[in-house]
Amino acid sequence: MGAGTLIRPTPLKSSPLSQQRPPPGPPTPGYHSSNSISIPRSSTPVKASSSLNSQGDYRGPKPKREWVADWVSQNDDVVRSLPIYVGGLSLLAVLVNRTISGIAPVADASSSQSRADLLTLGLAVTNILNGLVWLSIRPKSVSAVNPEGVECQSICPLLPDFISSELLWVWESLSDATCCRSLIIVYDKRVILQIGFATASSNTHDAVVVDVDKLMKGSLYQGALKSKSQSYLANLSLYPAKSELPFLPPNTQAVILQPLGDKGLAIIGGDMIRGFTTSDQAWITLVGEKLDATLAK
Amino acid sequence: MYAFFLQICSNSIKSGLRMSGTALSPFPLIPFSFPPDIGNKSYPLTKFPTRKLKSLAKISCSRSDNSSHSTSQQQQLNLSVLRFTFGIPGLDESYLPRWIGYAFGSLLLLNHFGGSDFSAITPAQLRTEVLGLSLAAFSIVLPYLGKFLKGATPNNEKSIPEGAEPIFLMSQNIPDTLKEDLAWGTYVLLRNTNTISVLIFIQDALCVRGYWNTPKDIPKDQVHDWFEKEINKTGLFDLRETLYFPQAEELWEILPRGTRSFLIQPVLHTQDSSSDKTEMSDGFVLLASSSTYAYSSKDRAWIRAVANKFRVDATA
Repeated sequence: MGAGTLIRPTPLKSSPLSQQRPPPGPPTPGYHSSNSISIPRSSTPVKASSSLNSQGDYRGPKPKREWVADWVSQNDDVVRSLPIYVGGLSLLAVLVNRTISGIAPVADASSSQSRADLLTLGLAVTNILNGLVWLSIRPKSVSAVNPEGVECQSICPLLPDFISSELLWVWESLSDATCCRSLIIVYDKRVILQIGFATASSNTHDAVVVDVDKLMKGSLYQGALKSKSQSYLANLSLYPAKSELPFLPPNTQAVILQPLGDKGLAIIGGDMIRGFTTSDQAWITLVGEKLDATLAK
Repeated sequence: MYAFFLQICSNSIKSGLRMSGTALSPFPLIPFSFPPDIGNKSYPLTKFPTRKLKSLAKISCSRSDNSSHSTSQQQQLNLSVLRFTFGIPGLDESYLPRWIGYAFGSLLLLNHFGGSDFSAITPAQLRTEVLGLSLAAFSIVLPYLGKFLKGATPNNEKSIPEGAEPIFLMSQNIPDTLKEDLAWGTYVLLRNTNTISVLIFIQDALCVRGYWNTPKDIPKDQVHDWFEKEINKTGLFDLRETLYFPQAEELWEILPRGTRSFLIQPVLHTQDSSSDKTEMSDGFVLLASSSTYAYSSKDRAWIRAVANKFRVDATA
């Protein structure tokens, strides 16, 4: 493999790196997600694709659409405040019912009418409180920030094929499954992969070259390797150690530092504050171990 | 905390339906610091809401508008106080509306049939009871709806189906690198997703791991052939799309008996033939789980990534 040439993996999603990634929308409800079409992240649901005809010999059952799940995921805000409305309206209805039937508004349990009213009120209050709890746990919607910089894809040319295909697989998985936009892998005192967005250097329009020695002497690298565990900088702007990563785009929002054994570090930059979920972190840890095992060969 | 919940209920009821003003005032929500996680495991890390609750203005009854504007900066609506836990491990408090719905609904029916005699039931009482029963039905359905909201963590407890045994099976005559990759892939899928059984089939190499219901009368060395026969029956070789069954009712023979949802991810690579790109299937990854709705979209994205690891690069 010559310097600078890459085995570009055949992209299964049709959006190449240079296209702007659309903002993450609701979870894709399409359970027939075809791999050859990029899943549109808009608010309209993905219709069941018609390529079922090309299934060939598949004879098994097909999944049916989940109407309730799709509807709830798309109308998230409405559903969260729905119990409050239902509860509040029934509360009023009970009151109105009592007044128009001429019963004195005394809340005691003597007559069966009052008992029924009290039970209904209890249910209404439960609904209201549940709606309030749902509102309180609504996740804050964070929008992705497009990284400023240039795209680059550079890989160390001296690597054997299986390592470079593994590295490219790591990049493809991270950029597909998480909010990762830049990836730099340092191993054995060298940068072996720099892919995604990077700061443009001031004089040329190419990406900034990573100064490995400075990086390795810095506190982030030392701390990550000493602790031998992943460190997650959820909001990079709060960390003064951000200056040790000048090669990442300046508006990178979150960074994960994954040590690869004793000899390397993977720096993963994302475009959303707290963009990497706990499941992403677990996956990245396992992928890091695999990568370390591969690179050690 | 349980007492607190009761107190809210009893306050509302005893005070003659006067709602306490702090619960429903229309001022905008200001971000507040995280309450410590009080163990309610069905709710993940709280993120503070950013939208003003303009819709609540219609329901609230006590605050006047000018006071809310002037004091909106200082006020904080800390709704997280409504989250509580009984502290009993294994009890999921998000199902509380369902239990209350069942309890109060049955009490309503008891009141209807066992209260005063039938002739004395007024239309007003009937109206209330109908309203109460429909509210009870709504409360029962509520946790089901809540499962699909953003931020709801799925129940990650894996229950092992009875009669299933853990097995780890791999085809023998495959290169070592593929063996390592298969072992790693199955390990990672079992560990990181809500899966109890995984099967990877790539280019005539089979790897099965997890809990499966293999028939007991087959000797150990023929289990491999049994799996292959079952796979041939379902014709999964030619699959081109990801199939996800979040609530599986009919199961294939090959799947363990306690499976409630499963997912099949084909491993595809595009082959650039002369005119167009065709997708060829190299194999598939089959995951089965003992809970419904086991795989979120994020899980599915990562499963796709692991499946791509086994892709045969045509240009390699």
